[in-house]
Amino acid sequence: MAAVTLTNVVKRFGTFEVVHGANLDIADGEFVVFVGPSGCGKSTLLRMVAGLEDISGGEIAIGGKVVNDVEPADRGIAMVFQSYALYPHMTVEQNLSFGLRMNGNPKADTERRVKRAAEILCIDELMQRRPKQLSGGQRQRVAIGRAIVREPQVFLFDEPLSNLDAELRVQMRVEISRLHKELGVTMIYVTHDQTEAMTLADRIVVLKAGNVEQIGAPLDLYDDPTNRFVAGFIGSPKMNFIAAKVVETSNSAAVVELVNHGGARLRKPLCEAFPTVGTEVMLGVRPEHFFEAGEGDCDIPVKADVAEHLGSVSYVYADAGPEELIIEREARRQRASSDHFTVSIKAERSLLFDRTGARIR
Amino acid sequence: MRYRNATAYRFLTPYLLIFAIFWIWPIISSFLISFQATRTVPWRFAPTFNWGRLIGDPAFFNALKNTLLILVIQVPVMISLAIVMAVLLNSPLLKARGLYRFAFFAPVVVGEVAYSAVFRLMFSLDFGIVNKLLNSVGLPKIDWFSNVTPAMALIMIAVTWRWAGYNAIIILAGLQSIPDDVYEAATLDRVSKVKQFFHITLPLLKPVIVFCAVLSIIGTMQLFTEPFLITERGGPGGGTETLGLLLYRQGFRSLNFGYASAVAYTMAGLAIAITLVQLWLTREPK
Repeated sequence: MAAVTLTNVVKRFGTFEVVHGANLDIADGEFVVFVGPSGCGKSTLLRMVAGLEDISGGEIAIGGKVVNDVEPADRGIAMVFQSYALYPHMTVEQNLSFGLRMNGNPKADTERRVKRAAEILCIDELMQRRPKQLSGGQRQRVAIGRAIVREPQVFLFDEPLSNLDAELRVQMRVEISRLHKELGVTMIYVTHDQTEAMTLADRIVVLKAGNVEQIGAPLDLYDDPTNRFVAGFIGSPKMNFIAAKVVETSNSAAVVELVNHGGARLRKPLCEAFPTVGTEVMLGVRPEHFFEAGEGDCDIPVKADVAEHLGSVSYVYADAGPEELIIEREARRQRASSDHFTVSIKAERSLLFDRTGARIR
Repeated sequence: MRYRNATAYRFLTPYLLIFAIFWIWPIISSFLISFQATRTVPWRFAPTFNWGRLIGDPAFFNALKNTLLILVIQVPVMISLAIVMAVLLNSPLLKARGLYRFAFFAPVVVGEVAYSAVFRLMFSLDFGIVNKLLNSVGLPKIDWFSNVTPAMALIMIAVTWRWAGYNAIIILAGLQSIPDDVYEAATLDRVSKVKQFFHITLPLLKPVIVFCAVLSIIGTMQLFTEPFLITERGGPGGGTETLGLLLYRQGFRSLNFGYASAVAYTMAGLAIAITLVQLWLTREPK
């Protein structure tokens, strides 16, 4: 087991910089998820930790030892690839033992490690099959098994579930979580799926365009995002952003007017920054934080456009002036009498962002 | 036949007619001719005339021996060379990859007569650059055209030069279809590049290599141009005569079409048999 530390890590492809000085401390045994949209540099960062990409600047340390110039095989890591990267011409057993056999590991020890991995992942029955004879989920298990037999200090997962169907993804998510508990080793996991990030991680690292936007526990990121990007990226359906303007300010609060909602006003208590009157801001409200009319601090009328009924809740896509709002409502079996209804926003359940997207607290 | 299908077949008819007249009929006809004595006119049906001669003909066995010798030595050497060339072409360290790819493929598009003439000049006893090079490093001159062993070697060198690049390009396509992350996984498994080549690259290239080998076997069984043009009709003294050349000699010099047809069918049968054995030996385990 080992801690992983990234200090000002930079990656350039030619003159194009894709990771701009990432700093991160991952504790021993921690499960950290890198999440972000395509092209944000999360896989590149992971591959730099693995040693599959050179580091253009900064330092990566694993278990307290700087590994910038250490060969991938000597870093004490094992990696599970998005495409599984199984050796197609070998059986499952040969896939698991290949690395050990090639390095002259004692046969008895190789057999023990392979057997243990097979037991952990319940793939004993598949040992003589070849990858093409396995389902996607089984292949992924074998890929994880191949990582387990290496008995690494750090497990790296590069979008391992993205090729699986939705049901299998949920099942494998649970298995990876269980595996982390069982092995207790450090795991770094890359995904673009914020649900995977929320469900698996001890801590999430949100990346955007090569920058670390925020690091924190899943619910901390959900409840207290540092900027509009994180607020929008974490949470499904995503947070609503309502255009507003500061119309009054005091030492402890700002009153904002929702510009597209007939001058509806909300008094938002603040403790750090106090924007000046006239400042254009964005009010962030999660779909589940809309309340019945009169229950909050500011009512806005909306017109339902489309509704998605998920059984326990419904998501109403509502027109509210030029803005479309996603509103979570308690599922109702009877058809609503009207498409028009009013929702209410509570000040403590909303977030304020400035024009650059930075949070105003 | 349904109307829709009939229309389709009407469109296909011109091609099918040409195919039947110029492909199917010659195949059937030559098979029938192989059972006829064709040395004198009129031809007469004599089932054992040509096939019986084949079994006891030293010229046939000489040609067969030469063809199989070239097959056994030249094909493995050429395929090995093609694999090495493909791996080099696939290297990310290689600059001007497109130029090399063209250069390796170029021999195939060079006219056979032109390249044979150049080879004759290069390997000429007194004026050839090859002998000059041998001399310059203190080795004696070799009379490539008068002795059987050097002449056979020359045929193999020429065929290898012409087709190694072609096979390398096919193998390169196979190499490029192997995903990078398989190698990355092996790198993380501390598997050296050499072991990666033998334990990952070669097994994954097997279908492509088998394909190239089958093409080469068929090509070698029909080998004609090089012994005809470079070593002057299979010389010295039939030392490089191949089955293809024997067929030509019998069919178009002696006009003995019956025997030439029997040789042709033997060549095709051998090519099929060797290919089947090879496919069986290299089959995928179930």
